[in-house]
Amino acid sequence: MNTPVHTLSTHRSSSLPRQHFLLRWVITLLVLVAPLAWSQPAAMSGTLGAVGSDTMAGLMLRWGETLTTRYPEVKLQFQASGSASAPTALVAGTTRLGPMSRPMTADERDNFIERYGYPPLELKVARDALIVVVHRHNPLRTLTRQQVDAIFSTSRACGGEAPIRRWEQLPATRDWSFGHIALHGRNLASGTHGLFQERALCGGQFRNDISEHPGSSAVVAAVGESANAMGYAGFNHLTPAVHALSLYNDEGTAIPPDEASVQSGDYPLSRYLYLYVNQPPGETLPPPEQAFLRLILSEEGQQIARASGFVPLTQTVIREQQKRP
Amino acid sequence: MTLPRLNSSRQPLRLLRDRVATGLITAGGVGVLLAILAIGVFLVWETLPLLAIGDTLALAKLSPLAWGTLKAALAALLFAIPVALGAAIYSALFMSARLRSRIKPALEMMEAIPGVVVGFIAGLILAPWVERHLASALVLIIWLPLSAALAGLLWQLAKTRLRRRLPLSWAGLWLIPWLAFMVAIALWLAPWLELHWLGGDLRQLLDQRYGMDYATRNALIVGIAMGFAVIPSIYSLAEDALADVPPTLIEGAQALGASRWQALWKVALVAAGPGIFSAIMIGAGRAVGETMIVLMASGNTALFSASPFEGMRSMTAAIAIELPEASPGGQTYHLLILAALVLFIFTFLVNTLAEVVRQRLRRRYRQIGGTL
Amino acid sequence: MTSVSANSASRRPRFSQINDLWPWLCAASVALSLLMLGALLTLLLVRGLGHFWPASLEEVTLSSGETFAGQAVREVALPQQTGDERLYFTGNQDIDGARWRWVTIEQIVERAQPADLIRIDRSPWGDFIGRLEAIEQGDQRWEGEAAWQQLTALLALPANQRQAGQLLLTSVDGHTLRQPLASVVSAQAPNAMSGWQKARAWGEGVWRFLSEGPRAANTGGGVWPAIFGTVLMVILMSVMVTPFGVLAAIYLNEIAHQGRLTRLVRIGVRNLAGVPSIVYGVFGLGVFVYGIGGSLDEWFFSDTLPSPTFGTGGLLWASLTLALLTLPVVIVATEEGLARIPEAQREGAVALGATRLEMLTRIVLPMAAPAMLTGVILAVARAAGEVAPLMLVGVAKLAPQMPIDGEFPYLHLERKFMHLGYHLFDTAFHGEDVQAAIPLVYATALLLVLIVLMLNLTAIFLRHYLSRQRGNEC
Repeated sequence: MNTPVHTLSTHRSSSLPRQHFLLRWVITLLVLVAPLAWSQPAAMSGTLGAVGSDTMAGLMLRWGETLTTRYPEVKLQFQASGSASAPTALVAGTTRLGPMSRPMTADERDNFIERYGYPPLELKVARDALIVVVHRHNPLRTLTRQQVDAIFSTSRACGGEAPIRRWEQLPATRDWSFGHIALHGRNLASGTHGLFQERALCGGQFRNDISEHPGSSAVVAAVGESANAMGYAGFNHLTPAVHALSLYNDEGTAIPPDEASVQSGDYPLSRYLYLYVNQPPGETLPPPEQAFLRLILSEEGQQIARASGFVPLTQTVIREQQKRP
Repeated sequence: MTLPRLNSSRQPLRLLRDRVATGLITAGGVGVLLAILAIGVFLVWETLPLLAIGDTLALAKLSPLAWGTLKAALAALLFAIPVALGAAIYSALFMSARLRSRIKPALEMMEAIPGVVVGFIAGLILAPWVERHLASALVLIIWLPLSAALAGLLWQLAKTRLRRRLPLSWAGLWLIPWLAFMVAIALWLAPWLELHWLGGDLRQLLDQRYGMDYATRNALIVGIAMGFAVIPSIYSLAEDALADVPPTLIEGAQALGASRWQALWKVALVAAGPGIFSAIMIGAGRAVGETMIVLMASGNTALFSASPFEGMRSMTAAIAIELPEASPGGQTYHLLILAALVLFIFTFLVNTLAEVVRQRLRRRYRQIGGTL
Repeated sequence: MTSVSANSASRRPRFSQINDLWPWLCAASVALSLLMLGALLTLLLVRGLGHFWPASLEEVTLSSGETFAGQAVREVALPQQTGDERLYFTGNQDIDGARWRWVTIEQIVERAQPADLIRIDRSPWGDFIGRLEAIEQGDQRWEGEAAWQQLTALLALPANQRQAGQLLLTSVDGHTLRQPLASVVSAQAPNAMSGWQKARAWGEGVWRFLSEGPRAANTGGGVWPAIFGTVLMVILMSVMVTPFGVLAAIYLNEIAHQGRLTRLVRIGVRNLAGVPSIVYGVFGLGVFVYGIGGSLDEWFFSDTLPSPTFGTGGLLWASLTLALLTLPVVIVATEEGLARIPEAQREGAVALGATRLEMLTRIVLPMAAPAMLTGVILAVARAAGEVAPLMLVGVAKLAPQMPIDGEFPYLHLERKFMHLGYHLFDTAFHGEDVQAAIPLVYATALLLVLIVLMLNLTAIFLRHYLSRQRGNEC
């Protein structure tokens, strides 16, 4: 009784050679998952990771590229989803470098201190501005603060009289027959959104019919495509498809957003760009981070900032920053 | 399952191996099923803190998102249902078998096109084009069905020889150049129509007469783009349901004097009704859950507006943009997870409904059709 | 509906009953769907591949007397007035601060395509469009045509063998520029190129796109890290999903008691295929990244905290999340394969004395293997096109370092990676300049669609081929 079964089974196994493939899968799986057990970052692995502002994404990438051409063993990892993600990531410990297009709020700083016991190192790395843009053929050239607020907000905290919803309500665009002003802006997590709310809307509330784009370049592209649009974006995304408006300062003169007025801070919505670093006091940073910070504050790094559309820091600010790390 | 007893020396080893293997498989299988179950458990667990607070804030924040999701899905279905069902009816009942074996995989291939590609085309290419040529786009929506009907009329008037060359059973293919030609004509004529019938500018007219806003990325764009993505899933299931209608039913109806269209309308569609219903349900589930297309083509404005020319913000897009920034444990984090839970429950229910209906339908066919 | 045209009835009895136009509308739906699919693919093909064809450069003179050089990109109608305007890519951002120029067509007096216009790609300032006056290297100097030949010869050398030198460039409107040779990436004189040369340049462009990493903040260069990341992630995912999917399917079909509960579980699994992918992403973020990853970091990598190792999105978590996402696909496909095996085969095996394990591994699994393979390929095709969940669990904007390298342990599961789909989204919406990125986005989209379609076609052919083979067996 035993013999025939046996022959049958050998016969079967020769015709179907995959008898152990389940086992093989398990082995393959083990072989592939096994490295996980040993994978640990070597002390000098040199990974340069940053999470934060997507306004600064291009800038961080270019700095990073320059660094990697010099030190090919340095690894880059950038995640850019908005300034608000930087403090989160710094506190959660998912990164050491947090580029932000606005200063940290007191809450964010407190959260960091609560987690680590020391404040994050704050570096100014370039100058930037928020621009209000319209379609390139739009005759509008200047806006007052009250007008900006009346256009973008529901609360009119800056003292505008009535909401401005249509192009006819602005004197310069009485003949711009495109009806409603279609508004474009950034999503909630971006520092651009937060800063515009604070500085241009005097802390008021945004209208809820503003199209929220995931990036400043998307705002500029959208405004450049439609004649009835107005939006706010970062200075570095300015292209000839749109026109950046001059804004009145407190003394009542209209200041155009250009390199000089942004660098000096005369343009009302200009700002610094920051890099927050998780550096425990008394400890030195890992070499790639050190090299990165040195590059940023060098003449070359500032020229790269200019090539990405930002405005370099003045020499006094650079010297001030260099003393810190 | 009882195994035959063999008196062999390898017997205990084999039985042991068998038992161990069965145990392993069971453990693995149950483990996988538990992992799947964990999704639901996790979502519920993470939203519990929110429900404990029980505030109305969550509702206030979620309701525009829920509305946006529904609006986007509705717009997509409005476009997808007629096209997908039309295509399903045609390919199940009129198309030649040879053509069908080629066309069906081609249409199902549409489903494979990644949402991010469709979203990019819709958001950056289609949306600005439609904004500049709104009248043309609207004319096209009316013009395309008309031109199909025109093709039918011309065909019935045509000579027999031509008709034999261009049979209805191949119309799915030879109508393509016809439609392309008609689209070209419409695009050429539309500016003229806009000028003479609508007094120059349709958008100005909409604004002045009806006070309607126009946003570049709006429900119309999302409807077309997401409709494109949903068509294949509705088509595929509806076509299966129609093709599975026992032929005896249609033949019987025709034998009793019904025309082919009557047989289709009164018999085949009714018989396949539940299948078509489940196809639409699956399509709705897909439309509600689609992320990248809505994210890239909707403008992300959290509005309560029913206008087809205004944008919306869906739950999926909100999760994709905001969750990476939300600090774990914070209120936004829990809120977004609540949105995920709502999506999960909704699609799960919709799919279960579709599945149950389909299984019941299969049983019914078995009763009517005998052999199926 | 009922009135039958007698005329047509007598002529074509088969279609005589169709007295309505409805079938034509239905046929048009098929035609419309195919038309849309075709239009989409053609658009991607034309724009995606056309981008690499060297575009001719124009020297434009305006009615104001101003001249500039650039590449014509597109035309749109002017708002509020008749006429069109044209967009030129003019480069020279360091000279005039902008890379684009919009010109109304009425203003253009003259358009010429002089053969000596060249286009030089530099870092960090991007493209230069203008003329090459001279090259200086040490005390040597080349001018005119000789300079161009020297430049092409120099650029043909690998970057580290080039001697330092300077290019003397002039723009069309008279600005001069001294450009260090080290910052030049590539140079082209498209107006002087023959068709054959252009075709070669096209081939090289496509190859560079596929084989190089991104440059200049993702506005230039190639997508090789993204291709690599996508493929690696998908491979890892299939390695994870296949054994577990098959185990679950075997359990459900062969071992579990076929009762009400099993049927419920089966429906549940089937429905999970319809759950939005973003929900899986949320699960992956909450459980894998924050939950398991955070704990792993605390237990094993506490010395590197606050820099996280597994507590942030990465390759491992992304592939795990996608494995979970595609699990239902594999389970359903395998189960269908298992259910199709005639019960007689199993009974025969058992009757001949096989244990259940032997019956499964020698009879049932080999017969169901094709179905499993189809399931895995479908899973891979779905995973390759998914972007939304990845945004939560581990893609990076730029991670030029591959997750595999020569450094122990060779496969770095904790690293972030680039993904074609996310790269597409990122360049299209987050980039510095959407207009500049769009051609690359088209090319990336084409690549992604080709990969996914290829995988799907493989699955379809495999299924077709195997079902025919099985038909022969029966």
